[in-house]
Amino acid sequence: MENLGSLAILLALCLSGYAILASLVGKWRDKPLLVLSAERAVYGIWALLTIASGILVYSLITGDFRLAYVAGHSNRAMPVFFKFAAWWGGMEGSLLLWAWILSSYSALVVFTNRFRFRDMMPYVVAILMAVQCFFLLLISFPENPFQVLAVGKGITEVPDGNGLNPLLQYWAMVIHPPMLYLGYVGFVVPFAFAMGSLITRQPGDAWIHTTRRWTILTWGFQSAGILLGAGWAYAVLGWGGYWGWDPVENASLLPWITATAFLHSVMMQEKKGMMKVWNMVLISATFFLCIFGTFLTRSGIVGSVHAFAQSPIGKYFVAFLAIGIAATIYLILDRLDYLKSEAHLESVLSRESSFLFNNLILLASCFAVLWGTIFPVISEAVTGEKISVDAPFYNRVNVPIGLFLLFLTGVGPLIAWRRSSIESLKKAFLWPSLLGLSVMAALLIAGVRHFYALMSFGLCAFVLATILMEFWKGSRAIAAKTGQNLLLAAVELTHRNTRRYGGYIVHMAIVFMFIGFTGSAFNLDSTNEVRVGDKFSIGRYELKVRDLLDGDNDNYAWRRAVIDVYIGGRQVATLNPEQRVYKASRQSTSEVSIRRRLNEDLYLNFAGVTNDGRNLAIIQSYVFPLVSWIWIGFVTLLFGTAICLIPSKVKMQYARTEVVGYVERHAAVTK
Amino acid sequence: MWSGMRQLQNRLLLILTAGLCMAQSSTEYLTPAVRRVGEKLACLCGACKNTVASCQMLGCHYAGPAREKIAKMLAAGMSDQAIIDEFVRKEGLRALAVPPLEGFNLLGWVMPFVAIGIGLAGIYLFIRRFHKPAVASAPTDAALLDKYHEQIEKDLAKLD
Repeated sequence: MENLGSLAILLALCLSGYAILASLVGKWRDKPLLVLSAERAVYGIWALLTIASGILVYSLITGDFRLAYVAGHSNRAMPVFFKFAAWWGGMEGSLLLWAWILSSYSALVVFTNRFRFRDMMPYVVAILMAVQCFFLLLISFPENPFQVLAVGKGITEVPDGNGLNPLLQYWAMVIHPPMLYLGYVGFVVPFAFAMGSLITRQPGDAWIHTTRRWTILTWGFQSAGILLGAGWAYAVLGWGGYWGWDPVENASLLPWITATAFLHSVMMQEKKGMMKVWNMVLISATFFLCIFGTFLTRSGIVGSVHAFAQSPIGKYFVAFLAIGIAATIYLILDRLDYLKSEAHLESVLSRESSFLFNNLILLASCFAVLWGTIFPVISEAVTGEKISVDAPFYNRVNVPIGLFLLFLTGVGPLIAWRRSSIESLKKAFLWPSLLGLSVMAALLIAGVRHFYALMSFGLCAFVLATILMEFWKGSRAIAAKTGQNLLLAAVELTHRNTRRYGGYIVHMAIVFMFIGFTGSAFNLDSTNEVRVGDKFSIGRYELKVRDLLDGDNDNYAWRRAVIDVYIGGRQVATLNPEQRVYKASRQSTSEVSIRRRLNEDLYLNFAGVTNDGRNLAIIQSYVFPLVSWIWIGFVTLLFGTAICLIPSKVKMQYARTEVVGYVERHAAVTK
Repeated sequence: MWSGMRQLQNRLLLILTAGLCMAQSSTEYLTPAVRRVGEKLACLCGACKNTVASCQMLGCHYAGPAREKIAKMLAAGMSDQAIIDEFVRKEGLRALAVPPLEGFNLLGWVMPFVAIGIGLAGIYLFIRRFHKPAVASAPTDAALLDKYHEQIEKDLAKLD
C-alpha cells in the first residue's frame, strides 16, 4: 500500500513537470493539443493525489503502524473522526493535504475555463503546476508521508501509535487546518490568473472578473480558518485567550490582511481602471505571504507553540520564495506600460481616496505584524542578543491602527465615488457621529475610564449607525416604490447588489468582533484551591463545588468538578470543568466549562490538584465580558461573505466615466 | 477484579500525571504589585507570547517561579526597575516583554510608523500624480433652466 502511495506522489510530480513544459511549449509553438494534454495532466495529478491521500487516510483509520506517520500521529483508541484529522496533524500529511487541495483547485480551474481564456490559460496552468511541483517535491523526498518505520532495524510490528496531540483532539481543530489550507492554497488561483494576464497583456480586467468569486471564497475560508483557530484556543487551552500573537498565528493573519486590502482596492480597478500595479502587488504579496506562512510553520526559524518539528525544508521554501518574488517583480516592472491607469482622481474627498487610506492602514497593520514577527531574528542577527517581541508590542502598535481602520470602515461607505461635497458629508455623518459620541459619553458617566475601550465602543456605534443607515435608506426607497415592508425591502435591496450589501454585512461582523475584542479590557480572573462543599466567587458569580468525579475510557482518564453557579443567591447554572490525561501520550488537557452569554462568559478550568498533600482541586475562573460577540461576528462574517458570492439581481455596469471638461455654450432646446 | 485494578491504575495515572504536571503552590498567585512588574517581563517558557503577569498556564515552568521571585524582591523592598534590571542581568534583553527603546532595538518600535509615513507620502504622490482639478459647474441662466424643466415636464407627460 505504502509503495502505491509513494508511487502515486512520484507520478504526480512527473505529471506536474510535464504539465508545465507542455503548456508552455504548446503555447509558444502554437500546438493546442500539447496545451490540452497539459490540462489533462492536471486532472491526472488530482486523481493520483486523491489515491495517495486515500491510502494515507486508510492507513490512519486501520492503524497501519508500520508507517512512521501513522505511528506518530494516531493510535488505536482514538475516535475515527480524529484518526481522519491526523491526515493533517503532522508535517508530511499536512503537506500532502496542501498538494491535494491545490490539485483539486487546479482541476476546477481547468474545467471551468476549458473554453475560455485560451490565450492566458497555458500560463495559468504552468504557474499552478509550478507551485504544485514544489509541494510534490517536498512530499516525494524530504517529507514523504509513506516512510516505513524502522526499516532494516529488525522491528516487524508496532503495537500502537503515539496518538494525535491531545490538544488537537477537539472538533474545531479538525476543521481549522483544512479551512486555513483552503484559504492559503486558494490564493494561488488569483495569483496565477494575475500573472497569466500580465504575461499575455490581456486587455481589460478579465483576471479580476474571473477570480473575483475565487478571491472572496478563499478570503472566507481564510477568515473561517483563523476564527476557528481562535475558537479552539479559547475553548481548549484553558486560559480563555483567543489570540496570542504567536508567529504562526501571525503568519495566517498576514495574507488575510493583504487579501482584505486587495478586495477593496480591486474595486478601484473595476470602476475606474486605477491602481492596476497596486492590485498586482497586493495579490502577489498575498500569495507569497501564504508561502511565507507555510515556511514559518515548518522551518523552525521562529519559536512557536504551533510549529511542526524543525525540518530541513526551510531552505526549499527560501529558494522558492526568492525565485518567485524575483520573477514577479521582473514581470510587473517589465509590463508597467500595460498597467497604466485609465482615469484620474477627481477629488481628494471621494470614495477613491478612502480606499487609498484603507489600503495604507491595512498594509501598515500587516507590516507591523510582520515586523514584530521577524524582528527578533533580525535583532539577534545584528546585535547578537536575543530579544522578545511579545503581546504588549503588538497591542501597542496595532490597537491604534485597528481603531483607525474601524473609523474608515464607517467613513468609506458614506463618501461618494468621484467626489463628495462638505455639505453632503456633514449630512451623512451627523447622526452616526452623534450616536458614537453619545455612547462614549454614556460609558464615561458609567465610570469607564479605559481610553481605547471608550474610543472603540464609540467607533463601533458610529460604524454600526452608518451601515444601518445605508440599509435603511435603500430599503425605505424600495418599500416606497413597491409597497413591501422594510424587512422584505432590505432583502430585495441586498439581492439587487449582493456585493455591496454583503460587504456591509461583513463590515458589521468586524464591528461585532471589535466589541468582543474591547471587552477584554475588563476581564477578571481568579484561581482557587477547593474541596467538595467549598465556595468562592468572581465578579457577580458565587460558585460552590458540589462534587469531584473521576473515570476513564480507552483513550483517556478524566477528573471532573461539578460546580453550581449562583447570582444573587439564585442558582443559574452548573458547570463541569474537566481535566483529561491521554493514555498513549501521557499528556494532560483541560476541557473547560463555559456559561456563555451576550454580556459575558463565565469560564471555568479544572487546572489540576495541589501536590502539597492536601489534594485540593485547582479551579481557575474567569469572566470574559462581551467575548461572545467575536463568535457572533464570525457567523455574521460568513453570512456576509456568502451573500457576496450570490450573483446580484441587477447586473452592475461600471462605466468608467470621467468628466474631462465642460462647454459653456448652451444647447438649443427644440420644441 | 480486573476492572477494579484497571480503575485503580487509571486513578494513579491521573493523580501522578495531573499532580506532577499541573500542581502549583499558592505563591504563584498574582498580587497587583507582582502583576505591575510582571507585565513588563516576558514569559520565556517558549510556548506563549505572554508576559510573566498574563501567562495563564498553570504550572508554567517560567512564569510561576518568576512571579514568586518578583514577590520576594518586592517584599525585600526592591523597586520595580531594580527587579526588571535583575531579570535582564540574568536572562539578557529577552527578559523584557518588548524591545528596549534604545540602540538598534529602537528600530523595532519606529519601523511600523515609518511604514505609515512612507505610505502617506505614497498617497500624497499618488494624489498629485492622478488628481485632476474638480470641474466647476457651468454658470446657469435661470430662465434657461426653467425652459429645460418645462421641456422635461412635457416629455414626461408624453410618456404617461
